[in-house]
Amino acid sequence: MVNLLKGVLVECDPAMKQFLLHLDETLALGRKFIFHDLDDTHLFISPDIVEVLQAKFDDMMDQISFPLHEKSN
Amino acid sequence: MGPPKKITKKDSKAAGSSKFEKRRRPEDEAYAQLVDDDGPTTESDIPASAIKNAERNDEGIQEDEYGAKDYRSQMELKIDHSSRPLWVAPNGHIFLESFSPVYKHAHDFLIAISEPVCRPEHIHEYKLTPYSLYAAVSVGLQTNDIIEYLKRLSKTTIPQGIIEFIQLCTLSYGKVKLVLKHNKYFVESPHPEVLQKLLKDPVVQNCRLRPKDENGEDGFITSVQDKSKPALFGAKAATTTTGASETGDKVDGDGIVTTIVPEDITNFYEKIDNEDEEEEANLKTVSFEVNQEKIETLQKRCVEIEYPLLAEYDFRNDSVNPDINIDLKPAAVLRPYQEKSLRKMFGNGRARSGVIVLPCGAGKSLVGVTACCTVRKRALVLCNSGVSVEQWKQQFKMWSTADDSMICRFTSEAKDKPMGCGILVTTYSMITHTQKRSWEAEQTMRWLQEQEWGIMVLDEVHTIPAKMFRRVLTLVQSHCKLGLTATLLREDDKIADLNFLIGPKLYEANWLELEKKGYIAKVQCAEVWCPMSPEFYHEYLITKTSKKMLLYVMNPSKVRNTQFLIKYHEKRGDKTIVFSDNVFALKHYALKLNKPYIYGPTSQNERIQILQNFKFNPKVNTIFVSKVADTSFDLPEANVLIQISSHGGSRRQEAQRLGRILRAKKGAIAEEYNAFFYTLVSQDTMEMNYARKRQRFLVNQGYSYKVITHLSGLDSDNDLLYKTREEQGHLLQQVLAASDIDCEDEKVPGEGGVVRPGGSKRTGGISSMSGGDDAVYYEFKRKNAHNVHPLFKKFRG
Amino acid sequence: MAEKDTKSLKSILQKPVKLECKDLYEYLKTRSADVLERLYDYPTICLAVYRELPEIARQFVIRILFVEQPVPQAVIASWSSQIYVKEHTAATAILGDLGVWRSAAIPGGLPAWELSATFKRNLKIALLGGGRPWTMVNVLDTDSKARDIAFLDNYAMSRWRCVLHYMVGGATKGPDGETISPDAVRILLNANLMKRDENDGGPVITRQGFQFLLLDTQAQVWHFMLQYLDTCEQRGMSLPECLSMMFQLSFSTLGRDYSSEGLSNTLLSFLQHLREFGLVYQRKRKAGRFYPTRLALNITNKNSVAISDDDTQHDKGHIVVETNYRVYAYTDSSLQVALLGLFTELLYRFPNLVVGVLTRDSVRQALRGGITADQIISYLEQHAHPNMLLHEHSIKSKSPLPPTVVDQIKLWENERNRFTFTEGVAYNQFLSQSDFITLRDYAQSINVLIWQNERNRTMVVTKNGHDDVKKFWKRYQKGGS
Repeated sequence: MVNLLKGVLVECDPAMKQFLLHLDETLALGRKFIFHDLDDTHLFISPDIVEVLQAKFDDMMDQISFPLHEKSN
Repeated sequence: MGPPKKITKKDSKAAGSSKFEKRRRPEDEAYAQLVDDDGPTTESDIPASAIKNAERNDEGIQEDEYGAKDYRSQMELKIDHSSRPLWVAPNGHIFLESFSPVYKHAHDFLIAISEPVCRPEHIHEYKLTPYSLYAAVSVGLQTNDIIEYLKRLSKTTIPQGIIEFIQLCTLSYGKVKLVLKHNKYFVESPHPEVLQKLLKDPVVQNCRLRPKDENGEDGFITSVQDKSKPALFGAKAATTTTGASETGDKVDGDGIVTTIVPEDITNFYEKIDNEDEEEEANLKTVSFEVNQEKIETLQKRCVEIEYPLLAEYDFRNDSVNPDINIDLKPAAVLRPYQEKSLRKMFGNGRARSGVIVLPCGAGKSLVGVTACCTVRKRALVLCNSGVSVEQWKQQFKMWSTADDSMICRFTSEAKDKPMGCGILVTTYSMITHTQKRSWEAEQTMRWLQEQEWGIMVLDEVHTIPAKMFRRVLTLVQSHCKLGLTATLLREDDKIADLNFLIGPKLYEANWLELEKKGYIAKVQCAEVWCPMSPEFYHEYLITKTSKKMLLYVMNPSKVRNTQFLIKYHEKRGDKTIVFSDNVFALKHYALKLNKPYIYGPTSQNERIQILQNFKFNPKVNTIFVSKVADTSFDLPEANVLIQISSHGGSRRQEAQRLGRILRAKKGAIAEEYNAFFYTLVSQDTMEMNYARKRQRFLVNQGYSYKVITHLSGLDSDNDLLYKTREEQGHLLQQVLAASDIDCEDEKVPGEGGVVRPGGSKRTGGISSMSGGDDAVYYEFKRKNAHNVHPLFKKFRG
Repeated sequence: MAEKDTKSLKSILQKPVKLECKDLYEYLKTRSADVLERLYDYPTICLAVYRELPEIARQFVIRILFVEQPVPQAVIASWSSQIYVKEHTAATAILGDLGVWRSAAIPGGLPAWELSATFKRNLKIALLGGGRPWTMVNVLDTDSKARDIAFLDNYAMSRWRCVLHYMVGGATKGPDGETISPDAVRILLNANLMKRDENDGGPVITRQGFQFLLLDTQAQVWHFMLQYLDTCEQRGMSLPECLSMMFQLSFSTLGRDYSSEGLSNTLLSFLQHLREFGLVYQRKRKAGRFYPTRLALNITNKNSVAISDDDTQHDKGHIVVETNYRVYAYTDSSLQVALLGLFTELLYRFPNLVVGVLTRDSVRQALRGGITADQIISYLEQHAHPNMLLHEHSIKSKSPLPPTVVDQIKLWENERNRFTFTEGVAYNQFLSQSDFITLRDYAQSINVLIWQNERNRTMVVTKNGHDDVKKFWKRYQKGGS
């Protein structure tokens, strides 16, 4: 017997994997979405979450970046 | 930065500092008291027109389809635009080509009338502000000259709004001066009608001191000023270059005109450049005497009615205060920019009060010493630590003929006999603290207050709360004040106060130009990205407390990067200083890497020992220091600086730390970088944000931070710490076990409100880039709404 | 899954579409043998192809041009030294790809090369003359209103900018109120440089379109013309005829006028299109004479002199990039401003200067639009102000831009690539290690395995590979049990 599951393989650096795990654990996207925690740099996730995930990541990066220039008015 | 600064800091401060209590010096105490209640400036300190802002002049202007303000309909391009160097925007911003043949002409002029916004390589941005125009007027520029020269330099016509703005800001400024002559205070002006107007004001009238036998209608004292020579600095005759010779690059070796400079620009430049010396030559002035006790009231009132009094000191004609016997040594040679800044101060033969801005390491103290030697009256030097006091004494002995007997130090450690001294060096807090003083100190203090000081040099002015200034100024009488600083930057935007407490900014040097000419070191700035270890990042993501900060500071990869950099630079024979604002991290790093460290509680003896070793012992090449090193003691020379925790986000601190390594290697124009400034940031954390925020000022001075995402050779180095997951796990346990106090930055006395990590980053973000006057503007907009200057109203739109 | 989701998922999963720029060789390579044969009926095309060949390939062609029988491959191989075997192989392949020669057998069974008869015949005509005249005819009487080169350059660029401007400005008119013909719009649409808006059907620029705008003019014209040729046949024009004319133009002399007498109807309408895009100048549609412009002359020429009209002279380095991310562009050209606006936040516009700043947001917006960091950097480099070149950094790093800015643009791009998503199917809970290994090795052998771990017997294969792997697994189970 073998088990099959359709999804999306994610490859990223270890820190970003922690970020995804965190989103999963805290139900930040409304639900769990990680099917398999494969290794330090790979996850297998639900295919319909990819877009939201990307948006969440963008939010995070927006937060930690600081605009070197702001319009003066 | 915005107001949410005065959070209930008191409790945590008390808790955090209790263990250092014993070591506190009185000067530190005074600081702590004053810092907290440095409230917002009251409106009467600043003339109403100074709150005006050209920034909003372009609000009605259409944006083009890309969201840019479209100024094309506001101005016409001149036919010979390519030989003119600048554009003036309707919002007061000026863009100057640094590669223009007339750059020099324009630069000197712009620095006098506007604030630099950014000065990178090719195109510089300046901004006209009420303060900058006030400064322009006070160094002798006239409204019409400003407008006329700006017109000539501009590639286009000047927007009408800007012309009005300049007129509005300069017409009433600089018309009246407060002059101390023969120990009497006079309000002096070349415009009799202005004095008459002033005297219509009952408050001003009340301050006037009328000679008993005078009954005439106005009774002004009229005087024609002698043709005064410009001041010469140094023992040698004037090395002053005149405007004409400075523009002498018009003809090259073959006698061919290589650059075409429109004649109207050169002509006018010479006029402006020589203005200082000529303008006053045969000037007829009128004046009236004022009551010395009412000076403060008078100043305040004049500010309110928009005729701020410029302070000038006619030291040559001061026969009451004795001269002190001090001169520059022949060896003291001023660099061109030092001389230029002093010419701004002594341009008309008198001493103007104001602020001179030079980067750290560019020789501020020589400027201070020279100013004292020029005035040759009793001088008071105020600085912000005992160590600086010692340093200033050294500087006086090095550059001038003053010896130990002439220089008196007044600190908690050193109390020289003040009587008969010519120069007294002390700290701000020694003067202002309110605790009980020893009998000895009490005597000195009394003597100090009784003196009429010729010149007061205020070191590091930007670090001192405005309130403390006011205390100093009410306690001590001096004829003129010279503020010195590296950055006119304060995160709390209180810098505006300095304009009216000390005087306008007289000069501000261009960092990049000094670097190119080899006056300051050529620094490679780098931001080293340290990836968060997964375990640390996991904790970072779930932690909501201040422990977050400790997690990114203690990130094992950061330790490894630090260790790698230290090893690298030790091999090169460099001297490295590592800064950590967080004490937990400081100790951990230093102990793990086996390096000496200094922080608040480190005893004076130990400090000296560590610093001496660092200076002279070839085996001690790296030291770790906490924030105390920023202000409390003088760091020895180093050429590498590493910041491992610096999330305060203070632009000034960043600039000041860079200054630690700016002292140029003697006589060398660096081909390559000769100093290194690293900031280590943990990737994907808020530290990235803080780092960028801190860099803004330096980036606008033309510095660029190279981002290093990976130090080559790091992975193959097997001797680095925290290589294994086990070791990293152990470190994580230590961090998690750390107390709340461990998570905080070291509290350093004299420091304004610290922006805490995790605090909202956008607070006041908008104003902070533009120098912050918007914030002031907003603050006053509401308050002043009831009594608006008619023109002011206009500029609100 | 709703349809919308599928689409957006795709947009994330798919790498941004790269603009594919073919050179002449790549273009011809993808034509069928039949088409090539028809093309080689034109001496001009043969000459153009010959000119573009690698040097060794040109040697081969010229040495066997007059040999009237196939030449053994071994003989040709002996012409070049062993050291250059790589170049030799490449040249051989190119000649084959382009159908210039084909392999033939000579008596005795030795493999040999034989030039295409058509190519041979027409190249001889091109090189030696004879046959019907293939060059364009000069007009006999002199033009009373002759145009000089400067005029032609200005004309060419202003026409070409019209096309570009149409792309950035959408349906709005160009600076001179000019717009472009429906035919030109069709080419843009066909080339995927623009597409019909989903809502109002009006043409809007595509990702490839953005990338196209950042190319240099010569590359733009070439790419555009190839797209034009692709639609040639659809409009009933002969591809060989048009291509031949294009090459004829590229061999013409700048500043000379040529006669349009005797051109076929196809070529006359082609001429009108070329006129619209600025490749030729004609005073009037029926003027009887035309002037090729530099755009046409440069079309195949790799070491061409870039066109320089009033605008481009300005254009030659009008952008200053500062270490604090400020961008200053000395221009009032709405096209240049529009291009800059693709990735820069514009702040102020003065009569001859635009002030902007590269921000994370503005660059990310461009990246989202399909522009790459390299394209932004190369655009800024191409147009860097002469003063930027004087800076010490630029001498060292060979780029006029401040290194920090270049790095940062790349970092912003990298930031978007922190994750790689690949659709796939995970297989786990294998009953035995050998089952796992068998299936894994199979997946590996057909190149569809994207992740595996022997210890917990889990593997992931690509979505496309899944069917094959599943079939294999079924077969394997049947055979095994």
